[in-house]
Amino acid sequence: MESHRRTANDVSAANRTLAGLADPVSHLNGHRPAAMDAEGFHAATQRILSSVNTVIDGKSDAARLALTVLLAQGHLLLEDVPGVGKTLLAKTLARTIDCTVNRIQFTPDLLPSDVTGVSIYNQSSRLFEFRPGAVFANIVIGDEINRASAKTQSALLECMEEHQVTVDGTSYRLDEPFMVVATQNPIEMEGTYPLPEAQRDRFMARISMGYPDKDAEIEMLETHQATSPLTRVSAVVTSAEVAAMITTVQQVYVSKAVKEYTVSLGRATRESPLLRLGASPRSLLQLLRAAKATAALDARDFVLPDDVVHVAEAVLAHRIILDRKAAGSGETPHSVLRGILSRLPVTSEGAGTGTRNAAPAGRTAAPVTGLSRNQ
Amino acid sequence: MTAAPTRSPGASRQSGRRPEQAAARHRVGAYPWAMAGAIAVAVSGAALSLNGVLRGWGWYWPVLTTVVVVSLTLAALRSVRAQPLLVTAGGFISLGAILTLTFFRSSSLAGFIPTAGTLVELNRLIRRASETVLSETAPVAPNVGIVMVICAVLGLAVILVDALAVPLGIPAASGVGLLAILVVPAMIKPQSVGFWGFAFTVAGYLAVLACSQYFAPSARFQTDSARSPGQVKRAVLTGSVALAATLVVPMAIPGFDQGTFPQGSRLNPWGTSTGLNPMITLGNSLRTPDGSGRITYATNASTPLYLRSVTVDHFDGDSWGPDDRDASRLPLGGRIDPGYTVLADEQQRLVTAIDAGSFTSPYLPAPYAPESVRGLSGRWTWDPATLSIKGSDTTTSRRQEYLVTSTAPRLTAGLLAQSSAAVQGIPEDFTRIPGNVPDIVRSTADTVAGTGTPYAKAMAIQKYLRSAEFTYSLQSPVQGGYDGNGLSVLADFLEQKSGYCIHYASAMAVMARLEGIPSRIAVGYAPGRLTGATVSVAGQGALPEYEVDARDAHAWPELYFQGLGWVPFEPTPSRGVVPDYATESSTAAAPDALDNNDDLLPDATPAPTPAPSATALPAPGGGGSADPGVQLLPWLLVACSVLGLALLMAAPRLIRAGMRARRLRPQDPANAVPLGWRELLDLGTDFGLPPGSSETPRAYSARLRGALLGDPDGLDRAAHQAVAALTAGFERHSYGRPSGADPEAAADGGQPGPARGTGGAVAAQIAAVESSLQANAGLPRRLQAAWIPPSVMGRLGRLLAAPFLATGHFLRRTAKAAARSRPGHSRQGAGDGVRRHSGG
Repeated sequence: MESHRRTANDVSAANRTLAGLADPVSHLNGHRPAAMDAEGFHAATQRILSSVNTVIDGKSDAARLALTVLLAQGHLLLEDVPGVGKTLLAKTLARTIDCTVNRIQFTPDLLPSDVTGVSIYNQSSRLFEFRPGAVFANIVIGDEINRASAKTQSALLECMEEHQVTVDGTSYRLDEPFMVVATQNPIEMEGTYPLPEAQRDRFMARISMGYPDKDAEIEMLETHQATSPLTRVSAVVTSAEVAAMITTVQQVYVSKAVKEYTVSLGRATRESPLLRLGASPRSLLQLLRAAKATAALDARDFVLPDDVVHVAEAVLAHRIILDRKAAGSGETPHSVLRGILSRLPVTSEGAGTGTRNAAPAGRTAAPVTGLSRNQ
Repeated sequence: MTAAPTRSPGASRQSGRRPEQAAARHRVGAYPWAMAGAIAVAVSGAALSLNGVLRGWGWYWPVLTTVVVVSLTLAALRSVRAQPLLVTAGGFISLGAILTLTFFRSSSLAGFIPTAGTLVELNRLIRRASETVLSETAPVAPNVGIVMVICAVLGLAVILVDALAVPLGIPAASGVGLLAILVVPAMIKPQSVGFWGFAFTVAGYLAVLACSQYFAPSARFQTDSARSPGQVKRAVLTGSVALAATLVVPMAIPGFDQGTFPQGSRLNPWGTSTGLNPMITLGNSLRTPDGSGRITYATNASTPLYLRSVTVDHFDGDSWGPDDRDASRLPLGGRIDPGYTVLADEQQRLVTAIDAGSFTSPYLPAPYAPESVRGLSGRWTWDPATLSIKGSDTTTSRRQEYLVTSTAPRLTAGLLAQSSAAVQGIPEDFTRIPGNVPDIVRSTADTVAGTGTPYAKAMAIQKYLRSAEFTYSLQSPVQGGYDGNGLSVLADFLEQKSGYCIHYASAMAVMARLEGIPSRIAVGYAPGRLTGATVSVAGQGALPEYEVDARDAHAWPELYFQGLGWVPFEPTPSRGVVPDYATESSTAAAPDALDNNDDLLPDATPAPTPAPSATALPAPGGGGSADPGVQLLPWLLVACSVLGLALLMAAPRLIRAGMRARRLRPQDPANAVPLGWRELLDLGTDFGLPPGSSETPRAYSARLRGALLGDPDGLDRAAHQAVAALTAGFERHSYGRPSGADPEAAADGGQPGPARGTGGAVAAQIAAVESSLQANAGLPRRLQAAWIPPSVMGRLGRLLAAPFLATGHFLRRTAKAAARSRPGHSRQGAGDGVRRHSGG
């Protein structure tokens, strides 16, 4: 009953519940939870994933990626047509973790202060009092984020990047872990405010659910008839455990070769003639963080190039912009990224397998050769 | 993928295709011209190699204009987007027009439209060309017929190459047209195709390939990477490396410039001497490295014996040949009558038993002058004028064994000197002075021969030709373009003073006629070598056996002296034996020295031994009677080369084994894992699965396990586990925490640390993988992996390409530097201009 109330679509109710959490930034400095050991980490992730998979049939990849983003301290953008379970995924993930969850339904008349909170003059104490907005929660679900005005959307910006809210000159630190899961509907764009590039860049990954396959869909029709499966889900990890898991992810080792590979990938997107806008340095940072989380989910304490490849599409596809000609000839960001990855030489320290085509190329060099020049 | 783009895919594809097509239409501008240029370079480059088939360079301009005109026509038609069939038809029309303009201008309309008269003339030229092809030997004089035919053929080659490369879209096959051109010099010229011809042809061919790839007219041929600079660079590099290797390797490795097929020996499926024209094949016979056409004979002659098969007495025209005089020939039956009386006191009667063996010719080799021939099969005739014996119809000398009785006057210098009477009773054929004798021949004859008896003149000419001024060479006539016969060749020979027997013999014969001595050229064999065996001839007892083969082929002049008959001379230095009567009394020449050292094959011909060997070995093949010490050397060489070849063939395998041994027993155990991984990569490469440069270790190992290994739960379980272990070890080594730096890593979650991969474990894993790979591969793949492992070959290729890469790198860098400095200069120049302007 309690959890049901927390996820209610009622901003003011959430505000009341979370009022106590809204502390100024200074109060929370210096706290860092200890890392979790490998077995504990593995068990916790298995619990989360199996719990999510009971609710959402046949979408284990999406669930895993969502968890990856959570552990990598990123934000997730779910983009797909209506009715494939975007909100359900976000809600389920939030429910499996014993933490605070807020949901904001974005509408054109939603105001920035509805998101961040507002200072109210308290008549009795004759002081301005801060009433925290919906963003003060561990997991914030922003439904149909492109329906809100640009002003409201950008109010999320600071929160997402800085993990803090600044109202009337005072900054309030958001609680850790903090994750925004926004959903977006790519069709029916009329009367919406598509997320600008800058704001899309703040989301670590964008994934689309896609339709479930036949068996999964049949099973869904059977099991989801009477009751919402969400009601059966209970929290399997505490927020403290999640924080420890995040610390574990942060301690995953990244070798120089993998860093080089990541940078090479970024440079290749910038030099590709098919792309108008390549990957930003921030996106590379997030790419590596996501790769670390992937490695940790795979029970490894070091990152492989495979991890980078695994998350590259989800992390980079929504940040790069195709050249007009490339878009005209039927390329998509995903296909371009796949092409770049298939040509990017993999380096491994000491083995020297990647130095084979070491010939530098001219100014209009293809990504591969252009990169090897930088090694 | 999301459904984010609202445009439907079909619509976007169509809108995308349209500008692409428009661009393709624009591109048509450059493509035909580049392709035509490439084809013109290739064909005219191949034509370069025809120098040597045709004498001189005069023929090249008509060829070049033909090639250029035809290829330009094709390009022009294609650039206005004519139908492919129309383009090819236009090529034929332009070829006809340019040929008419060049060769039949007088009989055509407006200079280039053929008429009926043109056809008549064409017929004449073609007949002339066919005569040239049939009767002359390379290099032929470039007469108008043969040049016309060559122009036509090269024009057709352009059309063929173009048709293959562009409308049919199989550019690689267009090399067939070029090969067709190159085959001609490769078979006819002694030095084969030659450097420049080959280089230009290949460069042009590569350009054709490059054009067809770069400007691919349809998406079928256009790969997305074709235009990327990396691809172009790699293609150019590969092409130039291959070209350079084909040019450099034959220079570096001995043996490529000597050989039967490419080394100018005419492809002759009917045997070394067809008898069509012995003069054509003489030079080729002499250049034959192996002694084919071996003839053995046994004789009771005390002096070395020349075997004569035919004579040449017509010295007119560009090529000489024997006159068969079929009308006056008599069937071989009773006594052969020379037709003149010999006044010498002493007649020498010789008996010679000849085994012609595989020597195939309608002319029968026999010592001069034959009286009777016994033991022949088939139908034979003899010519009263020359005493040459010829088989009629299909009778040849092949496998004939016969006994020749011949007589020869015992000639002395004194006897010859006395013979100064006017020549009588000799057919005019042998005294007629040929028309248009070159001036140099006439003047040389006048200055050399002087005045005196015919014998004195003959001796003077022979002495001149045997003097130190002249050198014996089989190659220099070929290189100088006067290999063959004819009066113009004779003039060249007297200028160059280098040639072989046919040049010396014809020089002496022609000069003798100019001095009034009847003469003819005898073609046959110089005295051969003793085989050491003996042949018993009825009535003569055991006679020593000699052998001759193609290398002893010879020509010598015969001069007629009244009352003595036809007397052979020997003007060729270092060949044959100078007869007693023809040696100067002052020079103590050794008449019986068999001095047959032709310097073509210094080490292949065993040194001739002056005396018959004491050990009478049965002659093995064509080996000759060389003593065992000399014979050992070739065998040693053969053994060495076989050993070398075996070593060369085993080299990749040995290198591979060495690499593996080094990797599996590393000096530093810390390196065991990465070395083991590299061994795994090479194993995969050997079995046909090379790692991609963009492939992560994990991806490669998954591919390896999927493609090359069998059932993971069945027999190949150990191999799968080994691959997985190697991959995990290598990943940890490459991307994991550096060992030792972080104690956490070693104690990490019970997983064994990097130290786990010791050499022994890695070796066992590699062995498991290899046995499984072999079990799952087919036989060809196994053989390839064992004997020509692609991993080693690829490394070798990169090693060979490294200097070229470095050169290319350097050149590019200098070019870039130059380009960088140039804008600075121009800017400065502009500044100067401005300053000057403001100053003025």
